[in-house]
Amino acid sequence: MASITLEHIWKRYPNGYEAVKDFNLDIEDKEFIIFVGPSGCGKSTTLRMVAGLEDISEGTLKIDGRVVNDEEPKDRDIAMVFQNYALYPHMKVYDNMAFGLRLRKVDEAKIKEAVNEVAEVLQLGKMLKRKPAELSGGQRQRVAMGRAMVRNPKVFLMDEPLSNLDAKLRVEMRAEIARLHERIGATIIYVTHDQTEAMTLGTRIVVMKDGIVQQVDTPQHLYNYPDNLFVASFIGSPQMNFFDAVVEKEDGRVRLNVSGDRFLLPERKGAELIEKNYVGKEVTVGIRPEDIYESEEGDGRDEYAFSSRINVYELLGAEVLLHFDYAGKSMTARVEPTTAARMGSTVRFAMDPEKIHVFDRESEAAVVH
Amino acid sequence: MKKIKEKYNWPATILLIFGLITVLFPLYMAIVIAFKQPTEMTNSIAGILSLPQKWSLANFREAMEVTDFWRSLLNSVLITGITMALSIVIHSLLGYALGRNMQKKKGYRMAYYYVVSGMFVPFAILMMPLVKQTAEMHLDNLFGVILLYTVFYMPMNVLLYSGYLKNIPIALEEAARVDGASTWTTYWKVIFPIMGPMHATVAVLTALGTWNDVMTPLVIMSGSGVNTLPLAQMTFQTQFGTNYNLAFASYLLALLPMLVFYLFAQKKIINGVVNGAVK
Repeated sequence: MASITLEHIWKRYPNGYEAVKDFNLDIEDKEFIIFVGPSGCGKSTTLRMVAGLEDISEGTLKIDGRVVNDEEPKDRDIAMVFQNYALYPHMKVYDNMAFGLRLRKVDEAKIKEAVNEVAEVLQLGKMLKRKPAELSGGQRQRVAMGRAMVRNPKVFLMDEPLSNLDAKLRVEMRAEIARLHERIGATIIYVTHDQTEAMTLGTRIVVMKDGIVQQVDTPQHLYNYPDNLFVASFIGSPQMNFFDAVVEKEDGRVRLNVSGDRFLLPERKGAELIEKNYVGKEVTVGIRPEDIYESEEGDGRDEYAFSSRINVYELLGAEVLLHFDYAGKSMTARVEPTTAARMGSTVRFAMDPEKIHVFDRESEAAVVH
Repeated sequence: MKKIKEKYNWPATILLIFGLITVLFPLYMAIVIAFKQPTEMTNSIAGILSLPQKWSLANFREAMEVTDFWRSLLNSVLITGITMALSIVIHSLLGYALGRNMQKKKGYRMAYYYVVSGMFVPFAILMMPLVKQTAEMHLDNLFGVILLYTVFYMPMNVLLYSGYLKNIPIALEEAARVDGASTWTTYWKVIFPIMGPMHATVAVLTALGTWNDVMTPLVIMSGSGVNTLPLAQMTFQTQFGTNYNLAFASYLLALLPMLVFYLFAQKKIINGVVNGAVK
């Protein structure tokens, strides 16, 4: 198994377009790294540079401490799972999986052993004699995984491997990939635009936008402490609510003035804002839907409460999403299904002050969490 | 269950029936004439359409003798077979190299246009210089004819192959590359087999063209004594008249191998299209 180091990696196309800008990352052995971001953010390009399918314009790529910039994919000891699986349509499942080993002149008996072992893990035993066209989407996906696994490579690269599956199958395969990582303990780089996949699978997540790394962190930390507005909005579903506020100081306490409603901030957050010179400035405030509660007068949350009319009521079974407008922004609250709130009713909400995020208006960087 | 009334597309049906007649009628004529004796040939319509008085293979036997059938057949098979094989190997390689690179590299794009523009050059223009050149280069033989065919069919076949290549996802080649295959191995183990349906199309088009061609072997190999089937059949047309009965018998004989080949290849094409369905 292997560690991977990306140092100041750039990808420039001949027309001058920069797809990846100054990418730096140390991936440790057995890590499950997720590259996530909207389409066109450079995540796939970075993966393909690690695979050796794209040239690296600038920077150094090391696998296990060895510089591999100019090495062919086959010499990097990697395996890749493609978005559309890229199974060889004219070969049976067995031959698809054996292809890489045959090219490496592995003994046919050993190939058989390896393929059968992997086929058993992936429950492909009965399908070995079929061609890809005779398989369902999920089975093809497993064959693609199997083809990567039989080679027992140092690094697995996966380029949106689940995006062609239907929702139910995707959840199943997601769990299967997680189990697989647990079992074979390989280093995996996984590209996706789906933040749920990113959160559930990754040991660390790399959030990218416009070719630039926004934040590299564990899923939990990324969720709780996003570095900037983009990460905050991209991670989490439904996404974080944002609205504008002015920082005010009164009797030594700091409040956020949101078009007349003045929310008291916890002392630590207030002190940080004072220290960073934000008093009197306009900021962007972020709060996650689950950190907005229904509140009643006199429940001790008066300092954090506001009222609004419900536009949409969505029952999801275990929870209810309430959509409403506040301070000129449309917002969402995630509440208990026992709520009496319905479309058109006016509800008093309160925010959890500890969970309020404050972002700089100009730079969009997080100021306090 | 309610019976669904079948709908006929009458205009199309009528058009197809006419089309069928234009094919079947000459074929019927050819078969009937091939079995008749010269004495049965008349100018009256009823006489032309009538069946032969006696179904005898005598015409076929004689035609085979006159045309030195087996030797001519062998030559035709050799030329067609080798041209076909060379076309599939060389033209698909060329189509792959040009088709995959011409999007990105100007040189390949120019080469592609250069090759394909060959389609617009009529053979008649090249004929006389070619006769001289092949004679001087001692290529006025079977080998020369095969070489010329391979070149003549290149533009169309390269066009077909590079067009078909657009249906083959590039991810397959990348997968092979990650699996450890060189460009050469990727081509032979992955791309070549997947292009199966196109091989069949190219084989049929090239084979039909070379099998039926009179002009090229006539001008290149004249006087060498080596005949192809269409060349040998020219002996029926003499200065003093044409023996239609022998000629048509011979045409039918020449038609049979092609018919068998076409039926076989057609099945391949249909199979190929179905098997090629990936995602």
